[in-house]
Amino acid sequence: MSAPTHLALDGLAAQAGTLRIFRQVFAVLAREAGAMIGDLDHLDTDEAILAAFAGAGTDGLTLEQVAAACRPADERLVARRFELLRSYGAITRVVDRPHERYHRAAFAPYVMLLFLRRMAAQGGQGELHQLLTLEGIGIRSPDAAAPDARASLRRLVTVFRLMANQLSGMASTSPVEELRENAELLWGNRQLIQQAQDVHAVVLARWPELDRECTALRTALGAYGDASDAAAARLIEQAGATRALGLLPVETWRTFARTADVDQLAAVLDGLLFDAPAPWFSPQAIGAALASSEQAAPVRTPPPRPVTGCDDGTDGDRRTGDDAPDLRDLVAGLLAGRDEVTLDDLLGAGDGWPAGRRLLARLTAAHHHPDVDVELVWGDGLHVDPGAPVPWVSAGVLRATPQQGQATDGGSAR
Amino acid sequence: MTVAADALWWARARARGPLRVPAGTGAPEGLTRLVEPGGHDVWILPVPPEQAGGGAIEEFGLSGTPVEQPNDTARLLAAVVRCCWTDPTAAIWPGADVPWDAVTSVFRHYADRDESAFLRAAVAAVRRLHGAGWVLWDERGRRVRLGPRVAGWSAADLTVLRELYRQMPGPSTDRPTDRPDDRPREGEQG
Repeated sequence: MSAPTHLALDGLAAQAGTLRIFRQVFAVLAREAGAMIGDLDHLDTDEAILAAFAGAGTDGLTLEQVAAACRPADERLVARRFELLRSYGAITRVVDRPHERYHRAAFAPYVMLLFLRRMAAQGGQGELHQLLTLEGIGIRSPDAAAPDARASLRRLVTVFRLMANQLSGMASTSPVEELRENAELLWGNRQLIQQAQDVHAVVLARWPELDRECTALRTALGAYGDASDAAAARLIEQAGATRALGLLPVETWRTFARTADVDQLAAVLDGLLFDAPAPWFSPQAIGAALASSEQAAPVRTPPPRPVTGCDDGTDGDRRTGDDAPDLRDLVAGLLAGRDEVTLDDLLGAGDGWPAGRRLLARLTAAHHHPDVDVELVWGDGLHVDPGAPVPWVSAGVLRATPQQGQATDGGSAR
Repeated sequence: MTVAADALWWARARARGPLRVPAGTGAPEGLTRLVEPGGHDVWILPVPPEQAGGGAIEEFGLSGTPVEQPNDTARLLAAVVRCCWTDPTAAIWPGADVPWDAVTSVFRHYADRDESAFLRAAVAAVRRLHGAGWVLWDERGRRVRLGPRVAGWSAADLTVLRELYRQMPGPSTDRPTDRPDDRPREGEQG
């Protein structure tokens, strides 16, 4: 087993990305599903094993010698990878006989490893360029024939179609993080298209009968161009006004901030100069501060006074600023000598809801006032007159009460 | 001293505030040197001409470097000036080295609050002033001095300060101000 992992989330994500490329590459080679390596340590071990064989010369190595040469790596892991490499033929016995302990390694697996690492690091763009160059050389060679050119065109169509499909899928549906991780698919797309167009032009000039294949290549190139434009547009849109395409995921920043030492953190601000804190205190400001502090003595809020309303033998609601005379004048004017008057008449004399509301509020105040000898008595019924200023009025009567300084009953309010 | 070295000194003074360097360091053009008491060190700080000093920002109606609790900070600075400026007729630098309690006793006249809030305000203000170079605060030894930035006050400024000095009450400590070792905590006076 590999040692317990100490990687943070982003490190694991990077590993997963590399493994994904490997898995894609190996998909055509896998003997059965699920047999792919699941840990980059295995690859490192493979590399170490192959390096050990490279240093050993022609005599070969035993398993124990290999394990010793790969010393920091786990011995059991080395043994397991050794067996696996042997089962695939990457390591063979020096002499093919039972109990032969010396082995030697083939060279192809190491080349494959190199290629894979390059593929994972650069997304295969360089390989594509090389492929295109090779195809260009192939079709330009004098002994190339139409079938070669056709096969070459087919390969290019397939490559560009696959790239375009992957890109447009990511541009439309995938989360933008995934798109950003695969941004290397976008790198240098103009040059790729240019190279492919060169191949296309040469083929069309030499073998005009291949125009069907050439059309297919043209559409594939167009699709790839569109897809990369869409993906770039999405990236730019997501990056916003900052155009910070290199924006790192949040986890990367966090991991950096947690794991970096002081020097690394300080290096972030290299080239930036901050002013020292230099507030200025003018003597005038100091004088003002001193002067203002004299008023800044603690403000003592007086304790709440006890409510003393009943000392003069009257009701506690009585206030000095009383509106009793005002209300008395009002009801006297409204009653005009009568004993009672209906609300209907009172409100009908006004000019609409606002005036009616004000009047009713004052009448209610008069009703509740102990010194005003009127009451409002509400009855059943509703007077409705669409033409009146107040179209509907509850049946109510404003009535003068006997002069005894008190409302007759408390239940007459509605 | 070359132009580049001068520029470097200015940049240093701007980024780090007043610089304390050993005496004998070549002082660059245009920077003021203040000799520390004892003469081993000098402070190097930029003091622009009066028209371009800190007061200019105010005249232009711009906001300078913001200070938290500007009033308390200014009051504490006034208290430090009152305690440390031994002779108001002479230059303000370097001033005396006074116990922290003397400063708080003056500050208390202008910040009469309950004890914990008062101490918090005083310590916060002196930390801010120390960070900006207005006072030098020895937190462990509980001593306070004026900082090199006071050399930025012009002659006119000092006249106003003298007036304030006369109006302010003096430190009401019963300990001699020059006692070298002020053992902390015999209870706050107040």
